[in-house]
Amino acid sequence: MNFTHLHVSTAFSAHYGVSWPDELAAAAAADGATALACTDRDGLYGTVKHLKACMGAGLDAIVGVDLAVFDDDGDLRTQLGGRVVVLAHGNNNGAGYRALCRLISDAHARTTGKAGGAVPVAVTRAELASRTLHPETLQPVLTVLIGPDSDVGRAMGGRRYLRPRTLFKRWLDAMPPGTLAAEVVSQLSPPGEPLSTAHAVRMLKLAAEHEVPAVLSNAVRYVAEDGAATADVLDSARTLKPLPELSAAPLLQPNGQGWLKSAAQMLQLGKEIIHAAGYGTADLKRLLAQTEALADRCRMDPMADMGWKQPVVPEGSVIGIDGNALAELTLRCEAGIGRRFPGISGQQEQQMRNRLLHELRIIDSLGFASYFLTVAEVSRMILDMGVRAAARGSGASSLVNYLIDVSQVNPLQHDLIFERFLSRDRATLPDIDIDVESAERHNVYRKIFERFGAERVTLMSMQNGYRARGAVRDAGLALGMDDGEIGDIAKQLWRFSARHFREALEEKPELKEFAGRVEQRDFTGNQQLDLLVDLTERLDRLPRHISMHPCGVILGDATLLDRTPVQPSGLGLPMSQFDKHDMDPMGMLKLDVLGVRMQSAMAFAVREVIRLHPSKAEVVAAGAHPAGVDGTGPDYIAEDGQIDLNAVPLDDEPTFELIRSTHTLGCFQIESPGQRELIGKMAPKDFNDLIIDISLFRPGPMKSDMVRPFLEHRHGFAPEIYPHPDLKPVLQETHGVTVFHEQILKTFDVMTGCGLARADEFRRALGNEVLEAKVEEFFRKEARARNYSPEVVDKVWGTLKAFGSFGFCKAHGAAFAVPTYQSAWLKAHHPEAFLAGLWEHDPGMYPKRLLVAEARRLGIPILPLDINRSEAEYRVERVESGPDRGRLGIRLSLNGIFGLSGAELKRIVAGQPYDSLADLRARSRLSRPSIQRLAQLGAFDSLHRASGGAANRADLVQHLQKLQARPLRKGVDVIEGQLALPLGDVELKNLKALLPAPSMVDNVRAELDLMAVDVSEHLMTSHRPLLDRLGVTTADKLLGLRNGTEVLVAGVRVATQTPPMRGGRRVVFISIDDGTGCVDSVFFHEAQEQSGSLLFGTRLLLIRGTTRRTGPRGISISASMAWDLSRPETLPFPESVAGATGEYAPDLPGPLDGIGRNLAITGLGG
Amino acid sequence: MGIFSESVDVVCTPSGQPLRLDWAGQHYTVCAEPVRWYERRQWWAEESRAPLGSGPGLVDHEIWRVQVRAAGNHAADSTLTLDLTRHVGSGRWRLLRIHDALQPLRKPKTA
Repeated sequence: MNFTHLHVSTAFSAHYGVSWPDELAAAAAADGATALACTDRDGLYGTVKHLKACMGAGLDAIVGVDLAVFDDDGDLRTQLGGRVVVLAHGNNNGAGYRALCRLISDAHARTTGKAGGAVPVAVTRAELASRTLHPETLQPVLTVLIGPDSDVGRAMGGRRYLRPRTLFKRWLDAMPPGTLAAEVVSQLSPPGEPLSTAHAVRMLKLAAEHEVPAVLSNAVRYVAEDGAATADVLDSARTLKPLPELSAAPLLQPNGQGWLKSAAQMLQLGKEIIHAAGYGTADLKRLLAQTEALADRCRMDPMADMGWKQPVVPEGSVIGIDGNALAELTLRCEAGIGRRFPGISGQQEQQMRNRLLHELRIIDSLGFASYFLTVAEVSRMILDMGVRAAARGSGASSLVNYLIDVSQVNPLQHDLIFERFLSRDRATLPDIDIDVESAERHNVYRKIFERFGAERVTLMSMQNGYRARGAVRDAGLALGMDDGEIGDIAKQLWRFSARHFREALEEKPELKEFAGRVEQRDFTGNQQLDLLVDLTERLDRLPRHISMHPCGVILGDATLLDRTPVQPSGLGLPMSQFDKHDMDPMGMLKLDVLGVRMQSAMAFAVREVIRLHPSKAEVVAAGAHPAGVDGTGPDYIAEDGQIDLNAVPLDDEPTFELIRSTHTLGCFQIESPGQRELIGKMAPKDFNDLIIDISLFRPGPMKSDMVRPFLEHRHGFAPEIYPHPDLKPVLQETHGVTVFHEQILKTFDVMTGCGLARADEFRRALGNEVLEAKVEEFFRKEARARNYSPEVVDKVWGTLKAFGSFGFCKAHGAAFAVPTYQSAWLKAHHPEAFLAGLWEHDPGMYPKRLLVAEARRLGIPILPLDINRSEAEYRVERVESGPDRGRLGIRLSLNGIFGLSGAELKRIVAGQPYDSLADLRARSRLSRPSIQRLAQLGAFDSLHRASGGAANRADLVQHLQKLQARPLRKGVDVIEGQLALPLGDVELKNLKALLPAPSMVDNVRAELDLMAVDVSEHLMTSHRPLLDRLGVTTADKLLGLRNGTEVLVAGVRVATQTPPMRGGRRVVFISIDDGTGCVDSVFFHEAQEQSGSLLFGTRLLLIRGTTRRTGPRGISISASMAWDLSRPETLPFPESVAGATGEYAPDLPGPLDGIGRNLAITGLGG
Repeated sequence: MGIFSESVDVVCTPSGQPLRLDWAGQHYTVCAEPVRWYERRQWWAEESRAPLGSGPGLVDHEIWRVQVRAAGNHAADSTLTLDLTRHVGSGRWRLLRIHDALQPLRKPKTA
């Protein structure tokens, strides 16, 4: 016999289900089942994975949902009357699936999409009833299961006879005939408790009384018994209550029997229930037959019901074409030729046209012409909004994309292969990603909804699974452990999967202390830590919630919302319940519209340049741009000074000079310590070098030791080696080392003649256990047939195999390299505007304060906060007086001051300029704490000077503090407002000079506290005396040292990275900033052991190590030991510290006081 | 009702239902249809480990409530109600609870 489980939650029922769809499908298939349901809570989160798993296991998929229903008697907005399972009927051309999608969207329609909303996900009974019938044929398309968790089931307890009947009757009255079934569940809990056999019997009898079919289920939450403990922990995480409390309530599952029982076990269960009901064999047969009959009715046809793998694109009419999409696309490509290749002719033109024809043929055979037109439409729409946009990803391999302005990279110039993007052998919708200015992303989304219609567009979601920190927190909560203790443990967990917690305890030095405590359990009787480790491992990767994907937008035709349920996102726009893995199976066209802060920063910089230099001549002079053909400057600068970044030639020498200097902080992709090291070693000379650099700095190449041989060959330290002369053209650009996907494709093609499309399929098969062997067989046979020697074949196959799937697509690299180059170009020519853009949009990996240090290094004045000059944005300004007179400086913005609200900011800016504090109070209506903070930051210093008062900043702050102590009534403000006569500031003028002026340390402390940036002076400066005594070397002096010199360096941590490394041993990169520049240090295994918990938790570091020259301009430190600089007593130099304490102690509370909060803001915190 | 946990030898039917048991040197036969359920354990307090793959028996244990009569005793009121539990790993049985019916029977013995 076989049995079909109709009520199964997968792990995608967040904080409820335990097992993954493929585990469940495999177990069901192994037991001989022919179908399996997936009924996740509140949505179809796991449905597509389930469908895929079922197809893989040879099962028919049944899809449904476990949904809460509002209580008809209660408050219809918040009160629930239990949960039911709704199953879609199959083989009705999708009518059942459609109704299910719409029903689930109904259930979410009233929620806010934000965490902790008051309105639960639920439907009313009326909504449920209205969806159960086909809108035209009026045939049932859904079946609702009334089970143990429904209002009826929950009323089964005690001796109540009438209540469950009344409730059941209501369902019968409300629902159309043929749409209801009773779900009989016994999880063999103690007699009389929920999910006991006694309750199952009552449900069975109730169904019999009303002649409603009853079906048997086990309300499954986990595939096997072992999952029960995980389910307990998930219950705790969902309800935010520890297990002992839940158990007492009792709110936990009654026992651990909710697993995917075998057919034999379900038969046995059925027997027990029937026996307990006093029924006979015929009744048992009927119960099982009804279960299978419902299962049969709900078997889905993946193609006809759910549109499996059938791409759907917006209707032609929506994208403005009424004829043949291919003809239209061809036309637009033709139009693009004139723009992209002006004056092309002869052989070059022939080559280009051949390529175009080739691409169009493939696009035609796949029927994707309208897809390209859609993407072009979105791309054009974004550019029309005046927003910077650039295609990224393998889409850059397509000439068509280049011609229709989707991509900015000429694939012919960089030898990019179309087949890497799209080929006849692969009928999945290709990915085209568009980077837009991050600040404009949400506007772009709204515009897409507007342009295509809300019925055709939805945002894509993403599943957020447990990682180590979250898992240990929730495991600790379940065990009722102390919050603080758990927090301390969580802080030490750094980038490893929770699944390997116990392993990590043995290996990671920063967990040593915790591991010791786990070991101690025998002596202290503290078993909890051991359990904590086990439970953390159990939670690993389980989905916690869905959220808006950072860039995915789904575009479809008018039937989109029949094919995916949607729910509100935090943004207010609807979001699909499907994630990126579900797109291709469901034939959904996904466009990645990614917000890139760097694009915003660059757009900002370009606007600043034109604002300061409103003509071509001024921009050319300011940026030292070439004179161009006619001597007036280059074409990419318009007469009004507007710079067309995309038109800047990619061979600007000052830009490459800057890149080679490794002073690339702030530049896209090449600012990380590792990248700066690589750039220093590689010294890129042209754009192609930049593509190679970006492609090399990936986990794969780093891990497989491709970088060292590449650099050796490049600098001529070692001769280039090619496995065979035939491969020289393929591998020449990377000196014989295989770096790009494109090279893999060509290698396959050269040695086997397989063609590029098949070559890409082969590349995809690399690393796949099953398929790789077949590829190897083919490769060896064909290569031998082409007379390549066995040694060559062996060697090349070795490379291909090692390359696996990790190499980099050159098209990606090329697409990335464009903004990299553009940002470096801006930094080289307009550093002030560029830095202002960086501060405004914060695109990089470093805290803002490091860029302040960079400005200092570049000699760019940073202009203090000023109530009349600072705006809501950073501004480049010509310095009017002082030693920097005439130079360009950057004025701090009012934005990002702690506690200053957005509304206050707007009012300040609207009311500028102010002639007195009274004027400011009256017109900007600032809160007193805000005024005081502005005073602390010196925003009134210029007003103060103008008033001629003798007092200083400290006096003013104290004055304001006193004012604060006396509450002022509203009426006073009005009178003060009337004083806006040109009297100067009487208040400031009359201020008594009592206090000493605040020290530099005080000012820096205020800046760090309130803006998270140390502007007046670097925060390390106050430590300088101690550091000098210790003999610490500063960053700017390092380059002058010999390789292998032992040094001490000190500074504030600005970045921590643990890139994957060859041999699997972790290497930790820590960068510190000491005010003269950045020191990059590397901690290898032993140094990590030595430094222990300091590695990740400490902010101010003293590091001992030896210098490591990484290139002509690059140097880093190979660390041997680190100390916490803020705890001088731990420093290993007793004599120096002893000598220092007297002088040092008064400095200590300096700029670090109160730093706790803003370290969290800046990302410096642990 | 007393709470015990002592070892008992149980003989089962082929389908796994208790049939006879030996306890404290006495033979008993099951004289009514037994009732079986699974009861939750406070595993987070009782166990020090709960690794993935621990299998069944962590979260609940199987309880059988049996009515037994001592071998050779045919008196109508001489039945005992016992709660037995079977350990998942070893398959060994333990006596968990003896219900009130015990008292009259045991008193003479222990007195």
